[in-house]
Amino acid sequence: MTKEKIIEVISKNIIENLDDLENETIDPKKSMKDYGANSLDMIEVVSCSMRELNIKVPRAELADIEDIEQLADKFMEHAEA
Amino acid sequence: MASNILNYSLADFHYNDNPDVLSPPDDFNEWINNPVVKKVFSFFEQELLDAPRVSTEILSNLDGQKRHIINLTSYNYLGLSTHPEVIQAAVEAVQKYGLSSSGAPLLSGTLDIHTELARKIAEFKQKEDCLLYSSGFGGNVGAIQGIMRKGDYLVMDEKCHRSLVDGGTLSGAKMLFFAHNDMDSLQMMLEKCKGKRVLVVVEGVYSMDGDLAKMPEICEICEQYGAGIYIDEAHSTLMFGKNGRGVAEHFDVEDKVGITFGTMSKSFGGVGGFVCANKPLIKYLKGYSSPWNFSCAPSPAVSGGLIKALEVATRDSSLRDKMWENTKYMKKNLLDMKLDLGDTESQVIPIIIGASGEKLMTYAGEMQKKGLFLQPVDFPAVPAHARRFRMSVSSQLTQEEMDTTLTIIKDVIVKGQQS
Repeated sequence: MTKEKIIEVISKNIIENLDDLENETIDPKKSMKDYGANSLDMIEVVSCSMRELNIKVPRAELADIEDIEQLADKFMEHAEA
Repeated sequence: MASNILNYSLADFHYNDNPDVLSPPDDFNEWINNPVVKKVFSFFEQELLDAPRVSTEILSNLDGQKRHIINLTSYNYLGLSTHPEVIQAAVEAVQKYGLSSSGAPLLSGTLDIHTELARKIAEFKQKEDCLLYSSGFGGNVGAIQGIMRKGDYLVMDEKCHRSLVDGGTLSGAKMLFFAHNDMDSLQMMLEKCKGKRVLVVVEGVYSMDGDLAKMPEICEICEQYGAGIYIDEAHSTLMFGKNGRGVAEHFDVEDKVGITFGTMSKSFGGVGGFVCANKPLIKYLKGYSSPWNFSCAPSPAVSGGLIKALEVATRDSSLRDKMWENTKYMKKNLLDMKLDLGDTESQVIPIIIGASGEKLMTYAGEMQKKGLFLQPVDFPAVPAHARRFRMSVSSQLTQEEMDTTLTIIKDVIVKGQQS
């Protein structure tokens, strides 16, 4: 699994779960909060993405993540493990 | 999962793809039955064998022993659940009305003591009217769900209680969360929903941190944006303000707060919730607040006891004065031990341990075996880097109990944090 693929899945789920983003390009350097996500939205995006990528990362390890790229890096670690 | 099993928490098993709908997820079973996780869960649902006073008895899940303990986990801040006058009033109510109201309040469940309690709570809170709920959780869910609609905006402090968030979800309103007590963040969220119907939701005392909502600033900003204010005073009613009306009274902003919520299970010593607001809004809620409309009215015993609890707590300030005296003493001594108490300003005192769930559970076990019942609060209830104990200071604490508590904390937490 490549990091690009992971970012693509996360971006798709951000667009699907949040309002008014249909025509947006998601910038991995940004946080989901920048796209208007509240904490419940973020849980949903992370859950959908993990399911789709078939990985499971403990939530407790996601606390310090600041942007979409860092989330993708964390997913990579678990995809490789 | 086996290698990092302790990193998992209840936050990780919400999604269930088990084809058998009557079973939890497979990996949840694997996790919850792991011996290490089982040990962590043994701290929960331990049976108290006596009333939830400061001094009580527990059947410990740790070793199966019955143990006399100092209980600083229950919310019995003013000791009203076991106050002799309150018990007497509850007994009289149960003798007259029986155990149940036997109906929803709109149809047949409203008893004269419910009307009396609601009127007295409204007078106490200086609002026009009051709605009583059988559950505090149901009260918050019901008020938010009853008032807000799709297309409306809820702007909530990120540390608001689950009941408020669930009420928001049920209402269909758009929810925006502002950074905890951060006025720039609040303003930024309000900018996003200009021109909409907006309700700002805060708590008087935040239950995991013990700090207060910055009400003067919040009121000013809300006024500027024309947003309504909902304050949950679950942990502050009967304790804050000159007359015990809560944090809004403490900051002298009661007239700026449209809706005030409280629970009956904390300082009041009963169970249930109440919402106070103007008369037309309460009348409207009676039609649309499902947890009120479709629940059996509160138990007569509880309502009868609560009328007395309100009287006892407000006829003078002796109970809350004692609670504050105890809080001051505990806080001073815990700070002298250089413990991290966060930003607490109330009787809710967190002792923040840090990122180690293992330390948290070890301390909890050791303290309980020495006779102190202080529940560990773990992720996801609090952030993973700030796992903690949450102490509820009560007016019932004696000097001796406070000193014993402090000695145990010193022997276990202080020593453990230094090693």
